[in-house]
Parts: sequence; C-alpha cells; structure tokens
Amino acid sequence: MLNTSVAIRDIAKKLLDEKRVDLIIGFEKGSVPLRSTPCFVRSTSEADRLIWNVNCENNLAKYLPKTKERVAIVAKGCDVRSIIGLIKENQVTREQVFIIGIPCKGMIDRRKIEAKLDGKEIIEAEEKDDTIILTGNNLREIIKKEEFLHNSCKTCTHRNPVIYDVLIGDKVVEDQAVDEYREVKEFEAQSHDERWRSFSDEVSKCIRCYACRNACPFCYCQECFVDSSQPQWIGKTTNLSDTAIFHIVRAFHIAGRCVDCGSCDRACPMGIDLRRLTKKMEMDVKDLFHYEAGISLEDMPPLATFNPDDPQEFMMV
Amino acid sequence: MKNPYLPLPMRVEKIVIETEDKNIKTFSVKFLNDEDAANFNYLPGQFAQLSVLGEGEAPFGIASSPTEPGELQFTVNKAGVLTTALHNLEEGEIIGVRGPLGNCFPIEALESKDTIIIGGGFAFTTLRSLTNYILYQENRSRFGNVVVIYGARSPGLLLYRDELEKWEVRTDLDLHLTVDRAEEDWQRKVGVVPNIVKEIAPSPENAYAVVCGPPIMIKFTLPVLRDLGFPPERIVLSLEMKMKCGIGMCGRCNIGNQYVCKDGPIFTLAQLNELPSEY
Amino acid sequence: MKELEIAKTEVVSLLNTLIKEYKVFAPVGQNGFITFQEIHSGSEAFLDYINSKKPPKEIFFPQSERLFSYDLSKGEGWSVEEPASEKKQRIIFGIRPCDARSLVLLDNVFDGQLYKDPYYSGKRKNTTIIAIGCNQPSSTCFCTSLGGGPFSQDGSDLILVDIGQKYIVQVVTEKGKKLAKKHNEFKEAEDNSLSLMRDTIETAEALIKSKIEVQKVTEKLDSMFDDPFWDLVSEKCLGCAVCTYLCPTCYCFDITDEVTGQRGERVRTWDSCAFPNFTLQASGVNPRPSSKERLRQRIMHKFNYFVANHGMAACVGCGRCIKECPVNLDIQVVLNSILNR
Repeated sequence: MLNTSVAIRDIAKKLLDEKRVDLIIGFEKGSVPLRSTPCFVRSTSEADRLIWNVNCENNLAKYLPKTKERVAIVAKGCDVRSIIGLIKENQVTREQVFIIGIPCKGMIDRRKIEAKLDGKEIIEAEEKDDTIILTGNNLREIIKKEEFLHNSCKTCTHRNPVIYDVLIGDKVVEDQAVDEYREVKEFEAQSHDERWRSFSDEVSKCIRCYACRNACPFCYCQECFVDSSQPQWIGKTTNLSDTAIFHIVRAFHIAGRCVDCGSCDRACPMGIDLRRLTKKMEMDVKDLFHYEAGISLEDMPPLATFNPDDPQEFMMV
Repeated sequence: MKNPYLPLPMRVEKIVIETEDKNIKTFSVKFLNDEDAANFNYLPGQFAQLSVLGEGEAPFGIASSPTEPGELQFTVNKAGVLTTALHNLEEGEIIGVRGPLGNCFPIEALESKDTIIIGGGFAFTTLRSLTNYILYQENRSRFGNVVVIYGARSPGLLLYRDELEKWEVRTDLDLHLTVDRAEEDWQRKVGVVPNIVKEIAPSPENAYAVVCGPPIMIKFTLPVLRDLGFPPERIVLSLEMKMKCGIGMCGRCNIGNQYVCKDGPIFTLAQLNELPSEY
Repeated sequence: MKELEIAKTEVVSLLNTLIKEYKVFAPVGQNGFITFQEIHSGSEAFLDYINSKKPPKEIFFPQSERLFSYDLSKGEGWSVEEPASEKKQRIIFGIRPCDARSLVLLDNVFDGQLYKDPYYSGKRKNTTIIAIGCNQPSSTCFCTSLGGGPFSQDGSDLILVDIGQKYIVQVVTEKGKKLAKKHNEFKEAEDNSLSLMRDTIETAEALIKSKIEVQKVTEKLDSMFDDPFWDLVSEKCLGCAVCTYLCPTCYCFDITDEVTGQRGERVRTWDSCAFPNFTLQASGVNPRPSSKERLRQRIMHKFNYFVANHGMAACVGCGRCIKECPVNLDIQVVLNSILNR
C-alpha cells in the first residue's frame, strides 16, 4: 500500500509540474482509525499528503460534476465505472479527466469490525499484508481483511479500472465465480408480505439526511424531486410513506446508471441496506437489456435510448 | 402559555388587484374574534405569518397602519406555493394570521426628524404603513417633513394608486413618483429610484432615510445616500430572508448572530455594517 | 444532598417500578447501534454502551412533530386542534452527560425570553433526567473542551457513577432528590464508595486527550467570515445532514402542511443548514448558495453566533458527527485549523 501511495504522489507531482492538470483528487489519512478522507491537491508541495489504503472507500467521482478544472482523479474499479457514466451523461469530459487507475481488492467496512468488537474501541489500526492489526483499550486483535469487506466489494466483478490514463500497481484477478445477485434472488424468492416487511423495516430507519443521495456520483440533479416545492412530490416527515417513496424513486432514477460502488450504503449512518433496491434494479437492467453500466464509453444507458425491439414486459398496460 | 405557532382566524373582507399584470393583490382581513383583534398590537415595519390551511404559511409585512383600526392589510406578490394559494382566495374566506412579528421602524427616533421614505416595486408595503402612521392627524405634528420617493418599472406596477393620488395633493407630504419606463399619459418622473434620489437630493440634516426595495435598488441607492451625507446610523432598511417560525427558533434567517425574524426585519445600515454580508 | 448509591442488581427492579408511574426512555439496541426508546421492562435497557447513534434530543424535539391539525371539509369555519399535551411524567434513564448538557443549550432556544416553544418546553418540564457518567469516553469525545466532562452535571437531575458493582448517585436538582427519596433502591453511599467514585471520575477525565481552546476559536471566527479557509474546508463536504441530524444541539427545523384527504396537519420536521433549500427564497435568491456558505454557517453558528447570543458554544463534544460523517470531515480538525489560521 505504501508503494501505491508513493506512486500516486509521484504521478500527482508530475502532472502538476507539467501543468497537465489543475487539481488532483485523491485520499489522505483520516482523523480516526480505519478512515481515509478525500483530499484536494493543487500544488506539488501538498502532494505528499496523498495516500492509498483499504480505507479509501469514498467514490471520488462524486466531485467531478462540480468541477470546472482539469482534474486527475485517483480511482478504483467502481470509481472508474462511475466516471464512464458521468462522461456519457455529459457531466464531465474525457479530456478533462486524467484517471489514475488503481486495481482494488476491496475496501474495509469499519462498521462490521466495530460490530464484532462489541463496544471496544479501536485506537489504532495498522494494515499488514492481508490483515489489519487493531489495538485499543483492552484490545489487540488481528483480523483478516477479506472477512470485513464492504458488501459491494464482496460481489465486485470489476476490481480493475476499465479505462485509465495510468495504472498504478498490477492488475488483480477478477472474481469470476461470485454470484453477485445471490442476495437479490433470495429476496425475490420471499413472499410479497415478507418482502414488504423487510423493505419497510429497512427504510423506516431512514432519517432523511440524504447522505445516500449526496454520496452517489449519479445524484447530481440540480433539484432533487424530494426538494421540489412546486409541485411538492413527497412530505418532509420520516413516516414510512415519505421515506419509502424517496428510496424507491431514487433507486428507479439510477437504474441502468448505478455501478454498485456501494457509496450510498457506506454513507448511511443508520445502516440501511440500500443496495437491496439498487442491486435489484441493476439485475433487472442486465436481464432486460443485457446492459452493464460503466463498462464502455460507447454504449448508451438503456433508459436513455430507445429501440423498437426494447423489452416491454415490465410495462403496466 | 400562548402557543406562538397557532394562527388566528381572519376573514378576507376585500381583495384589490394592485397591478396591471394582476400579480399583486392586497388583502384586507379582519379577525373573527374581538379578543384576537384587541391583542394584535403592532407598529409600522412589523410583519405577520399568513396561513392557508393545507398549503402552508409565509411572512408578509403589514401594509396597513395601526392608525387604521379594524382591519389588517397585506400586499402579496404571487411567487411561490403559498402566495399562489392566497391569490386563489375569494372574499369571505378564512385565513390564519400569526403575529405581529419582528421589530418596527424606529418610530421614536423618527419623531421631530425629517423622514425620507424611499421605496421600489412591491416592497412599498410597510412603507405605506409608516407613511400613513406619520400622516395620521394625531401623529403628524410629532414628525418633521416627509419626503416619499416611490418607483416601479411602469405606472401599472405602482401599488396603492388611489391612495398615492390623495397623497399627491396633500401639502404635508412631498411625494415623488417615478417609473423606469414612461407611458403616454405619465406626467411624473421617469428614471430609476437611485437617480431620482440623487436629483431630489434630500438634505441629510436632522433626517432619516428609510429604504425598502429590490436588492438592486438598495445597492445603488445606498451610495447616493452616503454621498448626500446620510450617516449609516440614519439609514434604515427592512430585510427579507426565508423564514419559517418567525420567532427566532427555526434557525434559517440569521445574518451573523441576528435573526431577521426576531431581531429585525428593520436594521440601520450601521447595524448591518457590523454583520457579515450574507443577505 | 449527600451522594446515594444503588446496586447494579437493583437497577432493573427500579426501572420496573418507575415504568409503572412514568414513561421511561432508556438506551436499547446491540452491536454498537444504540437508540433511546421507551422501554416497557427494565431488562430492555442496555446501559453498558458508549453513546447512542441518534441523540436523545428527539425525546423533546422529535424529527417530525404535529403542531396542530385541522379539517378542510368544514368549509367556512376554522377548526384548528392542538395535540393533547403529554400528561404522564417521563424519565430518561442512562443518558450521557454530554447529551444531558445539550438540553441546557436547547433551552436557550426553545425556552427563550421573548418566545417559548410549548411543544419542547412541555416535554422538558415533565421529564426527569437520570444520566450515567462515562467511565470509558470515546477517542472522538471532546466534551471537556466545551465546558462539559464525562461526569458533568449540567442538565441532569441525578447522575450515576459506575464504580463496578454499584452506581454512586449524585443528586443534582430538587426534582432528582424527590425521585430518589421515593425509591428505596437508593441508599446512602458508603464512604469507601465515595473515594472509588472520585478515582473513577479522575481516571475518565484523564482519558479525554483532545483539548481544543474553544474560546480562542470563537475569537478567531470574529474576523474569519470572508476567509478563503471556507473554500478549502468545505471542498469535500457532501452537503448531507448526517452531522446536523445526529448532533444533540442542532435544532433547525422546517414547517410544512401535510394533507391526506380532508385532514391536514401542520408539522415541523428537522431541517439542516447543509441543505440548499434551507435558505432558498421563493424569488430564487439564495444567500447561502454553495457548501462553502453552508458549512461556514454551521461552524459560525455553533462557535461564534450562539456564543454571542447565549454565552456558550452550541456543541457538547459528543463526537457523533466525527464518527458518522461519510467523508470524515472532522469538526475537531476544522476547529484546530481555525486556531492555526
């Protein structure tokens, strides 16, 4: 990981020195254990702040639609897929972005670790090979990284950036065997009542903080439908009727665009399983249109185009 | 304990379409309960929250003067959800009112001084209140000269036109009406408000300027007043911010540590100069 | 009043007794996901926790609250109905001292000199606060920088100090005294317990390493409104409301009408200075158009404006915003950067 960090710094300095970009978006050390934090570097002297580790969980593509500058961005497999989507949606141009691609073995879910420690607090976390050494008050534990990956990382099939301007490190082996829709299928196999109950249980935790929406690279609407007052589509409360509509409509709006980076899931402070909806959308789009988002710059998202032979089984007549 | 969130019912007695684009209406409303009327004591510059049940609530400056008892007047420009709901009302319908809220124009300070009232567009509402308050027979002698400079984009967009005509013939008030674009029968001034202020050049001596209008008008009027010699302590402004509670709790209308709903909406320029320029 | 004590084995039975007379709120949950909820049996309370995910402010200031309801079908009439005020006395058992202290801050807003909020004040008046001090403060805690501490008494009626087999009970208010006298689970504290208590408090206070000179932050902010600092510090902010909604002292709210059929309600719901709509006017003007102005408002409000208006910062150092910010925008880092400007 240190080698990767050094390589990121070197390329960042080079790009800034040669004035090929104005800004590097990467990660720096976070303020608490098991956290890294987005970092914006505009001069070579700041470049040594840049790091890479298993806590670089944020999807930095989120910051692209805002920027007017020429940007180099540190990007994992899922981040690159988001960038491809944003380019196709004209939120940023390919020329404007220099992609520092990083093959990724998955990011660590600190909440899973915390749940395992049952209240004991981590004061320091040190990465060593495939493990993390956790120390704290009455705590010294070595855990295996692969056991504490984010859910989206566990089913990831595009760990390697599909496009890049420079690739740091060796490509990693893609997991061909994983059944990424296993949980969706299990969910679908439940009865209508069971599905509604578990969906209701999840979204009733929602506090309407919109962290899921705001962390999503594809939620860049100038005005989100939940914020519109003329007309006002949904109420402001945390009643199930309001929270359910928010999550359902958001899932629909990113159908065929979502690359399952898991940002929404990670951002949610209440632990809502947001991927239950988005993954289902992703699976349906794949089944119906044989389309996978963020894999190629050429194909267009199926819900942004029209073909006379588009499937229409799902339409209500 | 009185619940400050509870609107009190008022009947819409009269609706006047103020402007030729029909986008601004004045509502004369009357309390259903005498007790509520007796408790509603206000001064020019204060505002109230108007409710249309099912639609919501929004703040409006009180356009009537306390010297005109019996009714309250609100002049409403159709812009958002609530103002549209108000415009859809008919005479006889019931609305809710919470107030009076906020502070008032510095009436005591204005006494024995000359008052230069400068207004633009539909922001003239509380200035109408202030002017009528000063002109009121029992009050008039306590105040010095009153100059009113009021402008709109065109003659058809001036508010309270019947009343303005009455003011024009009064001798205890110096009224200057102006429009950005003249029309054929327009006999008064033509030009934007800041230019008219410059032209009339009211003396700052022993005088206050009270300014309400769109941001652009205020922006260009303030330097004119400064050049004329009005000190910031004697330039009075009324601010608008998005508000919900109107009682300093909901947290959104602050400029620095001052809440426009509770500590304002009336501030002197000197007070504003001490605050961040976030309005 | 002299300290009392209660054996830990007695706590469940005490809670069971209290439940008969009071509505009792206590921390419940597991796996570090703790929330305050009404309990119906003493054994539901989970007292061995660091702090709750959501602050207990919602017991006084719920995320959605009906201000009044009305009937639209009544045509010309006017029928507005206020919700019945809660008659049953309430107890919060096991609140942390930082959160108890947050109520003192909120009192400044909702129980002000000019206006009183009847919804908040009503609940506040009929609630007795029994806090449990923090033997094991978290690394993100910085309460001592804000005038509090792991055993701060502000806002509590009784405060419990965990000394192992039992809690020492400090009696803070008359309300707390009355309650303690009524229940014989509370006994006079033994002298050796008291020295244990003092050791416990001292040890816990020493565990809080972070020390921020908040008064200096306040002074610095006086002249920092136009500082380019805000552009830099806000760059990674996502503009969500995690920090404000999980903050025990944030109190901003919206008021809207919700209508179902002919029944309508005016409700107030939590709102956040992080949202663009918070200050967006119907005319389209927004005095806080970007995350720069919005983050500045949050920091200025907490550490400058609130101090000017109420003599204290609107933060109790609970660390929830630090733990939960999706991009690790750490308020302690922000405060230290302000000091270093």
